[in-house]
Amino acid sequence: MGFIEENEQERKRFVHQWAEYVRTHTDKVWSHQQNVIINSSMQSAHMTREQFFKMKRETHYIK
Amino acid sequence: MKFKNKQTIEIDRELSELDTFAIDFIKILHQHSPYVIISGYVAILLGRARASEDIDILIPKCDFSTFTRFYHDLKTSGFYCLNAEEDADVYDYLEEGLAIRFAKKDTVIPNIELKWAKNTLDDLSLKHTINVKVQNETLCISHLELQIAFKEKILQSPKDMDDAQHIREVAKEYLDIALIQKYKEMLHGFY
Repeated sequence: MGFIEENEQERKRFVHQWAEYVRTHTDKVWSHQQNVIINSSMQSAHMTREQFFKMKRETHYIK
Repeated sequence: MKFKNKQTIEIDRELSELDTFAIDFIKILHQHSPYVIISGYVAILLGRARASEDIDILIPKCDFSTFTRFYHDLKTSGFYCLNAEEDADVYDYLEEGLAIRFAKKDTVIPNIELKWAKNTLDDLSLKHTINVKVQNETLCISHLELQIAFKEKILQSPKDMDDAQHIREVAKEYLDIALIQKYKEMLHGFY
């Protein structure tokens, strides 16, 4: 199995395991875990408006 | 997570910064227009373990005066438009069929990507919605079957396929699998 296929299988396995965790734990428990990912990502996301539109390939969307 | 019926899901979740941002925006938007949240944030709201820099929202077309009232309320609540500042310029983007983005003052991420419904698929998303009740607030999302079909049939990126898999698994006792297939066939003819 090549790297790409292996990586895809690993990803799918994680998505399955996490979905199972969500299904079998209370909302408060899984959301607390999920928020570690989301909140840290929000706090480290510093970007200018121009950089953001460039990343999104929407540079013509600014006036 | 409780799937109460075809129109209601209750989630007793701890709110993330992204949820709080979405709720703040929706509180203003829903006073001015119907709306539906689509795409990645739907999966995230249902527990998917990832973040997103934006939240996609569809609204029906509105006239300029409705838009200016909405935009005014956003600005007084601390939001700004990333694309332009003047009412007419921002409205022009919508009229051109483009998305406009809103963030909280002095920030860029997270932001809301707001656009007008412009085809029958968008109309379908606006028509078939689910109310997700979180912490005494309600967020209106698109039918999960339509989200899964669109991600698996049209978008197909690894991220979108994983979102679809997550929704399929957490909502497996609730989903209408035949309806996902029906939407896929509809999308096949559409794109």
